[in-house]
Amino acid sequence: MTIDEELELAQILREIDCDGALEETAAAALPRTRRDLLKAVVGAGTAAVGAMVGARGAQAAPTTSRGDTAILRFDLVLEYLQAGLYTEAERIGALTPKTLAWARVVGAHERAHVQAIKGLLGSKAVPSPSFNFRGVTEVEQPFIKTAVAFEELTGALLKWQAVRLDSREIIAAVATLHSVETRHAAWIRRIIGLQPATKAFDQPAPQRQMARLIASTHFIARRPKMTRKARPRYTG
Amino acid sequence: MGEAAASGPRATDALDVELAEEGVAVYSRGRFLTLMGVGVAGVTVTGALWAGGADAAASAPSAAQDQKILNFALFLEDLKSEFYADALARGGLTGEVRQFAQVAGDHEQAHARFLRKALGPHARTRQTFRFGQLTRDRAKFIPAAAELEELAVAAYNGQAGNLTKAALGAAIKIVSVEGRHAAWIAAIAAEEPAPRAADPGADVPEITAALKRLQIR
Repeated sequence: MTIDEELELAQILREIDCDGALEETAAAALPRTRRDLLKAVVGAGTAAVGAMVGARGAQAAPTTSRGDTAILRFDLVLEYLQAGLYTEAERIGALTPKTLAWARVVGAHERAHVQAIKGLLGSKAVPSPSFNFRGVTEVEQPFIKTAVAFEELTGALLKWQAVRLDSREIIAAVATLHSVETRHAAWIRRIIGLQPATKAFDQPAPQRQMARLIASTHFIARRPKMTRKARPRYTG
Repeated sequence: MGEAAASGPRATDALDVELAEEGVAVYSRGRFLTLMGVGVAGVTVTGALWAGGADAAASAPSAAQDQKILNFALFLEDLKSEFYADALARGGLTGEVRQFAQVAGDHEQAHARFLRKALGPHARTRQTFRFGQLTRDRAKFIPAAAELEELAVAAYNGQAGNLTKAALGAAIKIVSVEGRHAAWIAAIAAEEPAPRAADPGADVPEITAALKRLQIR
C-alpha cells in the first residue's frame, strides 16, 4: 500500500469506525510505522463521527459483543456500498440488458442485506457514507469487473468473519446471507462466460483485504454529504 | 429420527421479517421447502433413508454435536456424488448440463473425502442410493439436481450456529460451493440463480422429508 492509499483508508475508517474496533483490525494488518500514522489520522476524526452517531442514540444492544458489532458495522458499510453500486447502475440504465437484469436482482438483495444487518446492529448501526462510483455504473466492463470483485471477496470475507463472531444467532443469520453472495458470484461469472464454480472449497479472505479493495476503488467520498447542517469551519 | 430438535438459533426469523419489509421474497423454512417441492402425491417410502440417529443441532456446539452434523453432511455429499456419477453414466447428458454434472460431481466427491477424513473412525459407512428416473432422464435430472443443491445449502445453513468454530470454518468453505452449484444449475434451467436475499436453513427432518418427496431411496 502506498501512503496515499493508506490515507484514503484512514478516511474510510474515520467515517465508518465509531468505537475504534475497526481501526484496530486494519491497523494490525499494517507495519508498525504505518500503523502509527494511521492511528494518528483516524484518531483525529473519531470523536466527530462518534458524536454524530451518539446523537442517534448509541444505546448498546446488550447481547452483541464488541467484536460482533465491529464485524457487523464493517459488513453494513460494505452492503451500503454494494447496494449503492447496483442501485445507481439500475437508475442510469446504460449497461446491457442481461447485466442490468442481474444488477436489478442483486441490488434488491444487497438493499435487503443492509436492512438485515441494520436490524442485527440495532442502535449500533452506522449511517451510510456517501459514495462516488466514478462512472463505473455506466460502463459495462468496469462495472462487471467491479461487481465480480466485490461479490467474490464478500463471500470470502464472510467466511473469515463467521469463525470470529461470538453470537451463534448472528452466525446463523450471516450464514443465510453468505451463500446468497456466492450465488451472485456464480451467476455473474456464467453471464460473462466463466465457469461458475471452479474449486471444491472456497477460501476465506481477511477483512483487511476487503478494506484494501474498498480503498483502491475510491468509491467512498472523502467528504460525506451533511444532511442537516454544514460542517463547522475552522475560523481561528 | 431420535430426539426432537430443540429450537436452534432463530435470528434468521427476525431476518426474514427485515427482508420481507424490504419487499424481497423470503420464505419461512416450511414454505421454502414446500415451494421447492417436487410432486408430493403417491410417495411410498420403505425404510428410513437417513438412519443416522439423533437429529443434529440441539444444544451448544460440542465435538459430539459436530460429529452428528458432519455425518449428516457426509450423507448428503455421498448422495450427491452418487447422483452425479449415475447421471453421467446413464443420463445421456450433453453440453453445459454434462459439464455441470462433472464439475459438481467432482466437488461433491472432494467434500465427501474431506468430511470422511475429518470424521475418521466416526464417519458413517457409505450407502448406496437408487435415483430412479432422476438420473436417466435429462428433463428430470435438471430439477432434481437443482433441488438437491438447494437442500445442501439449506442443510449447511441450518447448522451454521450449531457447529464449533473449527467445524464451521470447514463447513462454510463447502456451503459456498453448494451455493454456486445451486445458482449454476438454476441458470441452466432458466430459473432464478439467486431467488432470495437470504438462504434459510432447514433442519434434518425437513431435508429428509424433501429427499423422500424426490423418491430417492
